Amino acid sequence: MAGMETSLFNAAIQGFLNLLHLKVFLAMVLGVGIGTFTAVAPQGLGMPLVYAIALPVVIKWEPITGIALLIGASSVSAICAAYLPILFGIPGGSGSQATVLDGYPMGKRGEGRRALGASFAAGGMGCLIGTLTLAAAIPAAKPLIYLMGSPELFVVMLWGLSMVAVLAGKRPVKGIIAAAFGLLLATVGQQAQSGIMRFVFDQPYLLDGISISIIALALFGVPSALDLALTKLGVEQQPVPLKGSLFDGVKDTLREWWLVVRCSFVGVWVGIVPGLGSQVVDWLAYGHAVQTCKGSKQNFGSGDVRGVIAPESANDAKDGGDLVTTLLLGFPQGVTTALFIVALLAWGYLPGPEMVKKNADVIYSVVWLQGISGIIGTLIGFGLAAQLAKLAEVRYTFMVPIMFIFILMGAFSVNRDPADLLVVVAFGVLGYFMRRFAYPRPAMILGLVLGDLMEKYLYRSVASYGFSWLARPAVILLLLLASVSFALTLRGRIRARRSAPSSFFSGAMARSEDES
Amino acid sequence: MRKTVALVAYSMFSLTSAFAQAPFYQGKTITVIATTAPGGTGDLRVRAVVPLLRKHIPGNPTIIIEYMDGGGGRKGANHLFRNTKPDGLTVGAMSGAVVALQVLRESGVMYDIDKFIQLGSPESTTHYTIYTRRELGLSSLEKLRAASGIRIGAQSVGHVSYIAGRLFAYFFGLKDPKFIAGYTAPEVDAALLRGELDARANNASSVLRRNLDWLEKGLMDFHAILEVPKGAKHARLGHLPEIESFAKTDREKKLLAMWRVFRIVGSPYMLPPGTPKERAEILQESMRKAFKDPEFRREFFKLVGENAEPLMPEDLTKAIRDTPRDVEVVDLLKTLSGPEPLPPR
Repeated sequence: MAGMETSLFNAAIQGFLNLLHLKVFLAMVLGVGIGTFTAVAPQGLGMPLVYAIALPVVIKWEPITGIALLIGASSVSAICAAYLPILFGIPGGSGSQATVLDGYPMGKRGEGRRALGASFAAGGMGCLIGTLTLAAAIPAAKPLIYLMGSPELFVVMLWGLSMVAVLAGKRPVKGIIAAAFGLLLATVGQQAQSGIMRFVFDQPYLLDGISISIIALALFGVPSALDLALTKLGVEQQPVPLKGSLFDGVKDTLREWWLVVRCSFVGVWVGIVPGLGSQVVDWLAYGHAVQTCKGSKQNFGSGDVRGVIAPESANDAKDGGDLVTTLLLGFPQGVTTALFIVALLAWGYLPGPEMVKKNADVIYSVVWLQGISGIIGTLIGFGLAAQLAKLAEVRYTFMVPIMFIFILMGAFSVNRDPADLLVVVAFGVLGYFMRRFAYPRPAMILGLVLGDLMEKYLYRSVASYGFSWLARPAVILLLLLASVSFALTLRGRIRARRSAPSSFFSGAMARSEDES
Repeated sequence: MRKTVALVAYSMFSLTSAFAQAPFYQGKTITVIATTAPGGTGDLRVRAVVPLLRKHIPGNPTIIIEYMDGGGGRKGANHLFRNTKPDGLTVGAMSGAVVALQVLRESGVMYDIDKFIQLGSPESTTHYTIYTRRELGLSSLEKLRAASGIRIGAQSVGHVSYIAGRLFAYFFGLKDPKFIAGYTAPEVDAALLRGELDARANNASSVLRRNLDWLEKGLMDFHAILEVPKGAKHARLGHLPEIESFAKTDREKKLLAMWRVFRIVGSPYMLPPGTPKERAEILQESMRKAFKDPEFRREFFKLVGENAEPLMPEDLTKAIRDTPRDVEVVDLLKTLSGPEPLPPR
């Protein structure tokens, strides 16, 4: 045990040393910049789109450099997500929607800076708590991970597949269809266990299956760009004037530190517990604040700073919790983490127990990046509050061509194979219609990511143990946990749907629900 | 005046002469099509060769690496054969599997291995061994042969370790062995230690580099070795019986000879057919010099963790040309490479 702790300590140090390269730092700064812009731009950009566009490029980089960009972007995007709710009254991306309830009234009465200050400070603290939880979870999980064989890993993947219940949102049947299609796509290529060619049609292009990063790019990039071009979505109303003091918000946050801690752990819990999904985190935290804060019945909804602090701290802490499940168990909690897994697989890491055993230093690099990016994001928020507000007015006419250029260049850069361009167009069209007819694309990505792994673990379990693997105690325990988690997921979904004022936010919710 | 004219004439002559003698590759860019993914061991092998190749090509051209992994090397080989201009500016850093894929008539092969121009290979010595976990008590070949249903793990059907495991099982005459593929390389060892698997075949140098204590502390029972090339004794496992000692027929010996060629080619460098002879010769000579350069061996060991055992261009050409291609041997090796049960001997 002491050896393991020493080894994890070394991994933590090595994880930090991995970052001490100029290119890693620059990639993180670039990621932070992209994440900030994404969070503030109003065109419906989200982290899934950023990840989808970035993946084909960064998987060609050295892993830590690519991870720095991805984590830098996602970490900071949550911290800066409060601009739209506070200044424009527009619900931000998923996880920052409840902020509008109190953030916008504060902005309207001239306390925009105070609300933003509270949001940044609460977000930064939440991010720190989430990151520390992730760091603490690694040594706690490692002994258990060593006991996991193929049967246990199969059940973990099955557990991951139950995430369809989350990613499908209000459309379970369509979610199952999308996930099944993803699973089917995962079978394309030569099957490793039997050598059988499946759906290859004698085409060398299909021997190794279709690149998940290209499918993700097409499914999320093309529909977003098309949607933006067709709907001309953007900010049509004027922002409230940016008045007040950022430091009033900081003081508020420090005064309400216990609320920040509680809501951060709500966020971490939502991140870790498989099945809750990011779109409920702010509502759960907001609900918790309403239930526990004095005078909430009178003040919440009319510009109470605690109504900003609660959802923002939870939203930022959730990312750390998300990464616990993603890195330690190997299954995603949402489409962003699903795409992060795609990148890790492309770099040769196998997220989950294998990665904890063999690449603990990389996991710690993620932890460090998460923490450092959070701090930078908070500082950016404080330092550039006024300038960032202007970003929110960027026109769609500027964004659409740039998005298409990045999508096509990204697709071609994966293998420099023109066939990839055809694939990106085909799956882009599919993604557009999936979005239009409300088939959840994240569920399809989940099926695609987990399909290959599930098949592999199931094959190995049956080949090594016959059907006796089902009687292994750890398998039974994990199956029970998965069932309980699934039941809790369904219950959480129903509760969240009841507590979220869906009539008020129906459009934004629908969008974020699909892309959470 | 006369002096000036003479000087100008001399300068012009020198200039013309310099242009005439300027190496073809000076100021040029060579693209190396690597059929491996960036970052892996295959990539490190390429990265160990490229700087030395550049150093020894007259004119020291720029060399860029373009990765084209996929299809077990078929994708890059097909591209090099069909799509690249044979101008001496595109070199293939291929997977050794491209030879086997063609000889075994696998699908998706759109190249002719015999038409490529061979530049050599940085490695040609790769021994394979088979070992079982000690708890099974299979400390001798007799005990191993007596055991039934031994679970042998590997990466994927058709993977070199998978075929090596099948070859050992076939030549030992194991009873009802089970071949379980679908692991990554480190996963196989972990599954072995967990008891999920009983045995595996592996590159002898790799296993001893990563887990020397398995041999020294007797944590695994090592049973036999497959030498590539034949007769090159392994420093630590040379005492084990060589697989050919279990061969009963000429066909089985040819089978091993064929498989040894597939492995001896290592990670070959090739030029597309039609490359001008003089440019091919420049590159072949440069590769010879690079392989003989002590700096190459140091760099290869530093990056790959293995000793370089280069195969010169003519040796690689000969190895490929002399590969046994008897139909019945090909069929037997195809069966042994596939997922079906082992054929009777």
